[in-house]
Amino acid sequence: MKSLILLAALASVVLASSYDKKGVAAATDKLYVKECGACHFAYQPGLLPSNAWQKMMSNLENHFGSDASLAKEDFDSISKYLNKNSAEKFMNYKRSARIVNSLRVGEVADSISKTPYMIEKHKDIREDFIIQEEVKGIFNCTACHTTAQKGIYSEKDILIPNFGRWED
Amino acid sequence: MKLIFALFLFLTISSASVVDEYLNTLTKEAKIENPSFSGFDLKRGEEIFTSKHIGKKGKEVSCVSCHGEDFSKTSKNFFTAKEIEPLSPKANPKRFSEVKTIEKWLRRNFNDVYNREGTTQEKGDVVTYIINK
Repeated sequence: MKSLILLAALASVVLASSYDKKGVAAATDKLYVKECGACHFAYQPGLLPSNAWQKMMSNLENHFGSDASLAKEDFDSISKYLNKNSAEKFMNYKRSARIVNSLRVGEVADSISKTPYMIEKHKDIREDFIIQEEVKGIFNCTACHTTAQKGIYSEKDILIPNFGRWED
Repeated sequence: MKLIFALFLFLTISSASVVDEYLNTLTKEAKIENPSFSGFDLKRGEEIFTSKHIGKKGKEVSCVSCHGEDFSKTSKNFFTAKEIEPLSPKANPKRFSEVKTIEKWLRRNFNDVYNREGTTQEKGDVVTYIINK
């Protein structure tokens, strides 16, 4: 009976997808930030669920058209870090919860930009702002989100190059 | 201040020995692969670094696309716009200071620009070019 109550309590929390923290938990692992952050912004692990990270890590030899292969020991360490800190384990963070809840059951995202939540959030931005030299693509979080390093993606912190502040 | 200087000197010396050691290893390999091997060549290295090829992404790129022409300055990744620290060990002592890292980037970047791994001769030539430029 006790476990039933606990289960019900747990279910209500999950269903309400209540979060008490804004943004997403910051990326803290030094090796992850060094290795993955060498070529692009070191995305917080809480921006994708573990199944999506696993899929991405399984093909680092062709990582969005680039060779991002790692030494075995670094691969293992980074995989472990991503799996331990993935979005579905940090549903108390607003962005992690929103991303996870936007995915269909069984859907494994190919990238953060391809999650339904991210597509929806960026759909009204003019194409020329996105493809301009300073930005290059939706993947480049820090180009416009001035507080992305901290895991904060609030509207008030957006500054689009050659445009300015963004208001919905 | 003295300590910082000593540390800097140590890093400079140790990084020089790491890349020299790496080139020695490549030389040994090259001699086994090719009995008429006659050393690594800066000019050939420059050609490898600056010539354009259809890379892994299907776009025409060279090493210069990401690393720029001045190795003492920061540059930008051609595809992601992420800042890349200076490539020259003279400007950036962290460069060529660890064999594991040298090999990682040679493997990745040959694949990215040439769509294949570099040969021993090519790796030696291009490293010789970069560290002497």
